[in-house]
Amino acid sequence: MAQARTTNRGSDTRIGGAARIRGRIHGEGDLVVEGHVEGGVTLRGDLVIAEGASVSSEVVEANAVTIAGTLEGDVISSGAVRLSASARVRGNIRGTAVVIDDGARFSGRLDCEFDLPPELGGVSRSETRGRVSTRR
Amino acid sequence: MASTVIGAGITIEGEITTEEDIAIAGTVRGKLSAKEVVTIEPGATVEADVQGGSLVIGGALTGNVTAGDRVDLQAGARVVGNVKAARVTIADGAQFKGNVDMDL
Repeated sequence: MAQARTTNRGSDTRIGGAARIRGRIHGEGDLVVEGHVEGGVTLRGDLVIAEGASVSSEVVEANAVTIAGTLEGDVISSGAVRLSASARVRGNIRGTAVVIDDGARFSGRLDCEFDLPPELGGVSRSETRGRVSTRR
Repeated sequence: MASTVIGAGITIEGEITTEEDIAIAGTVRGKLSAKEVVTIEPGATVEADVQGGSLVIGGALTGNVTAGDRVDLQAGARVVGNVKAARVTIADGAQFKGNVDMDL
């Protein structure tokens, strides 16, 4: 179909299942990857790697990150990171919170910075930083 | 809605290929090829050679364009490069610098 038509929509970005990107993606707004991305991803927005999608990137930087597909590379999140049951992740993850669902496969280090509860930390809340490191 | 959408705040530097259609409202530098419709929205910036089934251009494009079917330059479009397609339209208000090859 060859209709001349442009559409108006928000600033959300989607890489469809039949699409492949080799290169760098950066900017503002949310990104949903259903296809394949090879290269860096730096976002001021949320990132979703859908089931069936694959991303290979030295490092993926975003706000909240949800992974149901395959990721090869590190995650630096300024929000929460969630690995759904179908996720396959090889790399290190850093976020304010990390959720790994039953069935997800993950191999790497987990850096999760959070305030320790007072009974564990003893020091004033705002200055206490906890760190979880897991290796599987 | 296109299966692949590059939002207004997003920049992609590299190569994009898709078997389906794609709409660009942000910035793309590099190379872009799609089997179906490529839409470059008003406000978008594309510095790339573009290949598609058909192309609808409302934004700024620098690069050579090849379409299997047709290329439509809409009012407000700004295109610098060569256009190759069987059918080409240039709307009143579109800016265009380059060659047109309709493969006569």
